Amino acid sequence: MNKNYLFLSLLMILLAGGLLLLPDRTNYSQIPPEDLLWDIIQPTRYVTTEQVAKMIIEQDPTLELIDVRDADAFKAFSLPNAVNIPLDSLLSPNYSDYLGIEDMNAVFYANDDMLADQAWVIAKRLNYSGIYVMKGGLNCWIKTIIQPAPPPETASLDAFDLYDFRKGASIYFTGKTITAPKSDNKSKVIVRRKKKTKATAGGC
Amino acid sequence: MGPLIPQGYITGQWEFVIALLIGAAFGFLLESSGFSSSRNIAGVFYGYNFVVLRVFFTAMIVAMVGLLYFDYLGWIDMSMVFVLPTFLAPMLLGGFIMGLGFVIGGFCPGTSYTACAIGKLDGFAFLGGFFLGVFLFSEAFPLFEKFYYSGDMGNITIGEVLHVSDRVVAFAFVVIAIAAFYVTWLIEKKVRANRTESKFE
Repeated sequence: MNKNYLFLSLLMILLAGGLLLLPDRTNYSQIPPEDLLWDIIQPTRYVTTEQVAKMIIEQDPTLELIDVRDADAFKAFSLPNAVNIPLDSLLSPNYSDYLGIEDMNAVFYANDDMLADQAWVIAKRLNYSGIYVMKGGLNCWIKTIIQPAPPPETASLDAFDLYDFRKGASIYFTGKTITAPKSDNKSKVIVRRKKKTKATAGGC
Repeated sequence: MGPLIPQGYITGQWEFVIALLIGAAFGFLLESSGFSSSRNIAGVFYGYNFVVLRVFFTAMIVAMVGLLYFDYLGWIDMSMVFVLPTFLAPMLLGGFIMGLGFVIGGFCPGTSYTACAIGKLDGFAFLGGFFLGVFLFSEAFPLFEKFYYSGDMGNITIGEVLHVSDRVVAFAFVVIAIAAFYVTWLIEKKVRANRTESKFE
């Protein structure tokens, strides 16, 4: 037998045996701290409740809502089609498939920004892209989408447009019916009909 | 760092370019390893030439051990590497049919292309049969579609089935491969000593 084969066989056994002696890797690959800091201060990492509502209504296939509260809170109330990944399970291999999906926008939310922000930082450190936080969380969702308050009369036209959208979204998510404003002093509509004029007949 | 495309280091449009380069390199290595000769390939079944077993087993253990070291060093994220789903019974039958094709035709699909590349007529004949088989398979697919998708075990690995780490599996495979190299060398020696029609080495 060729001595080279013996040497190569021995080398392969040594290399494979070396694998057994290596300690397990526990340190996840992380992005550099300066990149993380830069990303943290970007306002683009937030999405508004209106943007999320619009994507849900339009059934945007790229939206992936991730509820980072615990399972009980998720059962009590959650957004349509959201998945529940409690913050302490975010690194669990069971949930790793939910993050880093190409062309998907994963939006973290909780009751407020706290838990969602933490989830965002963990995911960002692990170099996941396409991740966002729903600004204000579910508290803001209730305030702006479920029970929107009308803007003051002096507000800009944009504010009224936003209010109209929120009212529409509220109807969509709560199933409310549209009620026209009631008024007691109904004014009678007077219908005036024009007298029919006879077609000119005869002539010269 | 890796895999490069899923991690976004290079865009997905490069997939075909990379596939072309790897394909060309693979074809070149197959040809230079003597895989364009159906005698070398069919030799496995007659016991006079185990080059196929040696080349593929070597490629497998080197890739296995190498990838696990890469994973340890953080050069590749093995959790992002695609694992082909396992359909046990259909794969066993498929493997048997492919083995049958191997011993009858003297080529596997890849090696038949290398044979065609150097102008071998048996390679072209094999390729004709190959396309005929693909056509018949596609036309008759509804008949065995149910079996084809039966027994889906998902994207599992041997380590997950046996509940051992991938490193133990890799070590076991290296030992099995080297044992196989030795045993096949002994068989080859014995069979070749009794052969009169052709000489080796």
